[in-house]
Amino acid sequence: MDYKTTVGIEIHCELKTNTKMFSHGTNGYGNTANSNITAIDLGYPGTLPILNRGAILLALRAALVLNCEINQQMYFDRKNYFYPDLPKGYQITQARTPIGIHGYVEIEVDGKPKKIGIHDIHIEEDTAKSAHSATSSLLDFNRAGVPLIEIVTEPDMNSPYEAMAYVEKLRELLLYADISDCKMEEGSMRCDVNVSVSKTEKLGTRTEIKNIGSISAIGLAIEKEVEHQIVVYEQGGTIQEETRRFDEKAQKTILMRVKETGNDYRYFPEPDIPMLVLTNEEIESVKKEIPVLPNERRKKYHEKGVSEINSNKLIQNRDLSDFLLTAPEELNLVLASNILLGDTLAYLNKNRKKITNTKLSMKKLTDVVKRLEEGSLTSKILKEIFNDLLETDLSIDEVIKNHGITQVNDTDSLNQVVKKVLLENQASVDDYHAGKERALKYLMGQIMKETKGGANPVLVNKLLIEELTK
Amino acid sequence: MSNYLDLSILELNTLLKEGKVTPLMLVEEAFRRIEKDPEINAFITLNKEEAIKEAKALEGMEVDNVLFGIPVAVKDNILTKDLRTTCASHILDNFIPIYDATVVSKLKEKHLIIIGKTNMDEFAMGSTSRTSYFGAPKNPWNKTKITGGSSGGSAASVASRMVPLALGTDTGGSIRQPASYCGLVGMKPTYGRVSRYGLVAFGSSLDAIGPMSRNVYENALLLNVIEGQDDHDLTSSYHEIEDYTRFIGQDIKGMKVALPNYFMSDVVSPSIKEKIEETVSLLQKLGVTVERVDIDYIENAVTLYQIIAMGEASSNLARFDGVRYGHSVDDAKEVEELYLRTREEGFGDEVKRRIMVGSYLLSGENAKVYYDKAMQIRDDMKKSFEKCFEKYDFIIGPTTCTTAYDLAQDTDDPMRSFLDDVLVIPVNMAGLPGLNLPIGFSREHMPIGLHIIGKAFDEARMYQFASFLEKELNLKLDPKGEE
Amino acid sequence: MENKLSREEVLHVARLARIQISDEKTLEKYQYQLKKLLDEIDKIKEVKNYDEDFLIAPVDHEAKPTKDETQEEITFQDVKKNAPHTKGNFIEVPVMIHE
Repeated sequence: MDYKTTVGIEIHCELKTNTKMFSHGTNGYGNTANSNITAIDLGYPGTLPILNRGAILLALRAALVLNCEINQQMYFDRKNYFYPDLPKGYQITQARTPIGIHGYVEIEVDGKPKKIGIHDIHIEEDTAKSAHSATSSLLDFNRAGVPLIEIVTEPDMNSPYEAMAYVEKLRELLLYADISDCKMEEGSMRCDVNVSVSKTEKLGTRTEIKNIGSISAIGLAIEKEVEHQIVVYEQGGTIQEETRRFDEKAQKTILMRVKETGNDYRYFPEPDIPMLVLTNEEIESVKKEIPVLPNERRKKYHEKGVSEINSNKLIQNRDLSDFLLTAPEELNLVLASNILLGDTLAYLNKNRKKITNTKLSMKKLTDVVKRLEEGSLTSKILKEIFNDLLETDLSIDEVIKNHGITQVNDTDSLNQVVKKVLLENQASVDDYHAGKERALKYLMGQIMKETKGGANPVLVNKLLIEELTK
Repeated sequence: MSNYLDLSILELNTLLKEGKVTPLMLVEEAFRRIEKDPEINAFITLNKEEAIKEAKALEGMEVDNVLFGIPVAVKDNILTKDLRTTCASHILDNFIPIYDATVVSKLKEKHLIIIGKTNMDEFAMGSTSRTSYFGAPKNPWNKTKITGGSSGGSAASVASRMVPLALGTDTGGSIRQPASYCGLVGMKPTYGRVSRYGLVAFGSSLDAIGPMSRNVYENALLLNVIEGQDDHDLTSSYHEIEDYTRFIGQDIKGMKVALPNYFMSDVVSPSIKEKIEETVSLLQKLGVTVERVDIDYIENAVTLYQIIAMGEASSNLARFDGVRYGHSVDDAKEVEELYLRTREEGFGDEVKRRIMVGSYLLSGENAKVYYDKAMQIRDDMKKSFEKCFEKYDFIIGPTTCTTAYDLAQDTDDPMRSFLDDVLVIPVNMAGLPGLNLPIGFSREHMPIGLHIIGKAFDEARMYQFASFLEKELNLKLDPKGEE
Repeated sequence: MENKLSREEVLHVARLARIQISDEKTLEKYQYQLKKLLDEIDKIKEVKNYDEDFLIAPVDHEAKPTKDETQEEITFQDVKKNAPHTKGNFIEVPVMIHE
């Protein structure tokens, strides 16, 4: 029998709040060292924690997004240990009454859905940041006390791929629900992975790989750790409970420390914070505030015939996806998504803008799509006038006029143009009759050129075919 | 030489209003008294320069409240901005707070003048104030005796009439027990009544700040100032602000009082029991019903206290690590060495013992065996108090088992500091208010106190009861008068 | 029963509390003193609890969370007043070694 891989993941996410979890200090990333601090954050004698309502509501939102049961009566606990980045000598966390339990995240494995169980999600505070040199370490307390949620899965993943899919999915959910900005490179999302292998139903001894830096590294780290463990077992060895880290350069996991028996962490209930109660009304109102999540958006795109590629691109470009939430039901999402992900996205990226900072209103977009569908606007003209649509308040008609383009809808004058073009391009006419479809496109283009793009393409097409089949 | 500080606060208030006395005169008199009797060792740090400055600033201002311009002493575990706060520990002996405790802000708002920071047991751990890094304060009634503790300096400063009022703190009797040993009124208010913000935590779920004074009325006046909900302390209660003097003077006839059998058991010395019996007779004469009762679990209070207070203390004192403030060894090669040596040098024996035991109690499985169990019994004990209060207005008993003993006695017994507080600790466990009222003297003429325990948030009635009794007893409580 | 803890037991709890014990006399004193305290504490095992309810702190009200707004920040100048070792805008500590 082969070895079965089992993976559980613990993720710490910083919440997107203005201030810290237990103080009114600013939650700011990248500011001058030790400039966002209060007496509480430094663990000064006599200080007591306060509770940040914003952080609690975001943690509640996270628990709801991850389909958790909510603990409506919560305590906090102190996790006591000594380390210079831990100002009070304890971290305030939730050991006994995590805000959410028994949740799940749904991922896709080989095209089939799989639920990854969430054991619990709890609120805690971040530690200070330390920078090390050979002789000393320097402490910056800006991060000390920043609100965190820790999300702990069940050991439900069985491959590096599943682990990566879970983290990606979780990240997408937390981003979309505006809970965290989930930047692994800035440390606002940090990932610890527990890995074990076993030939039997009984789980093997697990090792923990701490603080992996990216989603792809998570996959690699698990793969390498599984290889490592199998080699140890095959050589008759045993795996110890230990903490390892993943060295991306060396492409292997490296032992950090063997786990102590837990004696060094001492827990007891935090006496400075009375019971925190979440009412049904509060939970309901938080539910209502949750933005439309990716799965629901994907479902809609799928129903409206948007390609999977575009659908994924929209989800990746939250700004555009949000913009589409305001679309009227009848809007052709295929055309709309093409416009948004094509010229619009290029423009936004180039100008570092958000769609909401342009003049492209939903009404304008709807109008554009409608005209494209009717054929009263060509994609060529659209390209020409696009910048003006994004940058001015003018209507589509006004923009077209400003570009010196007049739409020709008059059958008589168009017929004359068609006849003229056919006369001048006998070779293409012959090609068409010989069955070369491309010739038709060429002729169309010539006609549009002649009318400076002003011709109604649907009408031109109709007249052209009539004339050719005469 | 003036002796204004022997007058009552109401008398002083009249004189201040009439302009016959100035805050500066009171402040200078306070320092004169302190400097005249340095042996008492009531203060760790004096606030002389600032106090005089403040007193001068008050001149010409309207006397807008009864405590305006009154000198007050503050225990040295309560933070005072820019005024050294040491907790009587080497580890904080250079610590300058960058903010005021909420109670200190309240004193300043009402223009009381902080005279200095009072001596105490190191981090309030002790029952004699002998664990102070700055040496023990001495009992103004007899300088060979302890003041009790941990608020021994506060007690000594008021008992010797250096100041009329002081703030103490009480985690397991540390206001009431020294008040008893020194012949004062000391109130530990209901847990949550007074904000703990800026009190250096010892046992967070037990700690309370409270007033110490020469008499009941003045005690109530100080509680009026310091009480109230505070956004900086989530455990501070939302009870309405009240005037604690409002029932003072009303008759106590018809009240019902419980006297637990445990409080009259063999743990208490015969001479104290005798005094309690006398007081019971007096109460009965005044029309108060006194009945013997049993309150479950109160005899377990010391064990509970050791687990909870030491557990919490081990956590609360972890922050004194030589990194951000306080004593710190300069030549540590790595962080662990910094911790180990800073804390070895910085803490005294009593504190070390308690945080070692506390750390042990919270480690691994012990947390369940000891801490969880203690929290369960604590709940049971609170409920048995509540049951008693269904029938009685107050619970009374002696505050201490003996009177203040010799400074040299039992210095090596680690249990002594807990056993001294055996009668007062149950009140902290249940979060109830408790008050010491002097009721007489021993043969050696050392004060004896009555412990009055009230229902949660019933301080105003306790003051009524205590004040009525105080008037009946009419004791001479100034040790100077005895010399 | 022995009326003192072993040296190792004392050193273990001292280590948990991050307190060094440099001299033998103190260590020996603690062997007896801590034993005496722990014996008293052990009495909790014989106490029967009435029910499973527990009390963390004697507070009847719920925690009231406050607004997510910056308030009461301090500066590094404030911190420097009490910090034993600083370097630039940082607090400095000796080398941190992962256990």
